[in-house]
Amino acid sequence: MSPEPESQSEDPSPSLEGWDPADDGPVDVPDVVEKAFAYRGNVSIDTTGGRALVGYLFNRNASGSRAFVQYLDDKGDGPFTLPYASIANIRFTGNDPAKGNSYVDYQRRKAQNLSALDAPAEASHE
Amino acid sequence: MAVPASQAWTVATYVLKQRLFRRKRYPLVLMLEPLLRCNLACAGCGKIQYPVQVLRKNMSVAQALAAVDECGAPMVSIPGGEPLLYPHISELVDELVKRKKYVYVCTNAVLLKQKLEAGLFTPSKYLSFSVHMDGLREEHDESVCRDGVYDAATDGIREALRRGFRVTTNTTLFDNVEPLRVREFFDEMMDIGVEGMMVSPGYSYEKAPDQTHFLGREKTRELFGKILGNKKKHWRFNQSPLFLQFLVGKQELECTPWGNPLYTLFGWQKPCYLLQDGYAASFSELMMGTDWDAYGHASGNPACQDCMVHSGYEPTAVAETFGSWRGLKDTVVSTVTGKV
Repeated sequence: MSPEPESQSEDPSPSLEGWDPADDGPVDVPDVVEKAFAYRGNVSIDTTGGRALVGYLFNRNASGSRAFVQYLDDKGDGPFTLPYASIANIRFTGNDPAKGNSYVDYQRRKAQNLSALDAPAEASHE
Repeated sequence: MAVPASQAWTVATYVLKQRLFRRKRYPLVLMLEPLLRCNLACAGCGKIQYPVQVLRKNMSVAQALAAVDECGAPMVSIPGGEPLLYPHISELVDELVKRKKYVYVCTNAVLLKQKLEAGLFTPSKYLSFSVHMDGLREEHDESVCRDGVYDAATDGIREALRRGFRVTTNTTLFDNVEPLRVREFFDEMMDIGVEGMMVSPGYSYEKAPDQTHFLGREKTRELFGKILGNKKKHWRFNQSPLFLQFLVGKQELECTPWGNPLYTLFGWQKPCYLLQDGYAASFSELMMGTDWDAYGHASGNPACQDCMVHSGYEPTAVAETFGSWRGLKDTVVSTVTGKV
């Protein structure tokens, strides 16, 4: 089960940042791959051979017997291809750059700037 | 008519050739993203939210040109990210112009004046700067989440025009705009002297920071009806009259997701410029391996229901113009009368 949406009212989209599917029980690899494919941060792919591959998972092909994912590593090298059969788990270890707060931040900064401009004007009327 | 006759002729002959060869699906504009990083973080944009190592990547010019050659579309649009941050933009544009492709560099123009002064580009009928402008100063700076960008962009536009470049604008509208202010903005762009304007409703990007202002279909028609219903004669649009009629609800068009295919750092994006359902390794794999019936308004795909974006519907409008007498007649009437 994926985590509940964050409680911040300014950010309506839930983020999977920090989620380890293994914490919730047996890992459903195709389901976790879909979530990782939609995730815009880096992930750590735990292979069945015991390796942890860190990078950005940008593609998956779930159809057919040769289902695979493609990723760029954390240096940007790649693409590397990995079959579903080699994936044990995918952890959402990287920051989520799509958490969606830049517009909120901009509005907040703008409101603060306007308040700062208003303050001296009010003072001058006193 | 905002599109030069030579470009209109190239597009017309290309479309007619596709029809002659009975090609059901063909590309019209290749969207080429050689990088994904940007110097802005706009509220309605879901294109740039990636890890640092992805944002630092640049496509090689050879890779970009191979995609252009494989696709074969007569027009190439270079968005991103911000294409003026691409270190090989000058070489890429030169190569595309040599291939007689009509190139649109889709820029926010923050760096345009600086790059022009550095001599990166040479004026050509094949090269246009398509400048992202979402409204007058207040609305545009709000849209791009940074004050001062409108002034920088208009400085860049004026410099480009002064140097003899083709300049168009590209405007994305959301449900928080005032129709009268948009009309004033169109007047302003015409006064500045741009060749033509492109306008489109924004797409509901899942990853965009601002999720509250995307338009539904009915709202889109209502808004564009107010903006374009009494279109001023001096407004010039760099897009098909049928697409504008579609926006105001006078045409029923279906999406052509393969019309503006996207080649990006990850490959050929399935199925279109806006949706990310995966990537194909080649253009032919994209065309042959995508279940096109699963996309577009008629498919019932929820991701397509509110979309009326030009990247999906402008190719349909162009195909309709050259594919039916009614389409041709509506286009001619609209062009001659200046009415949408």
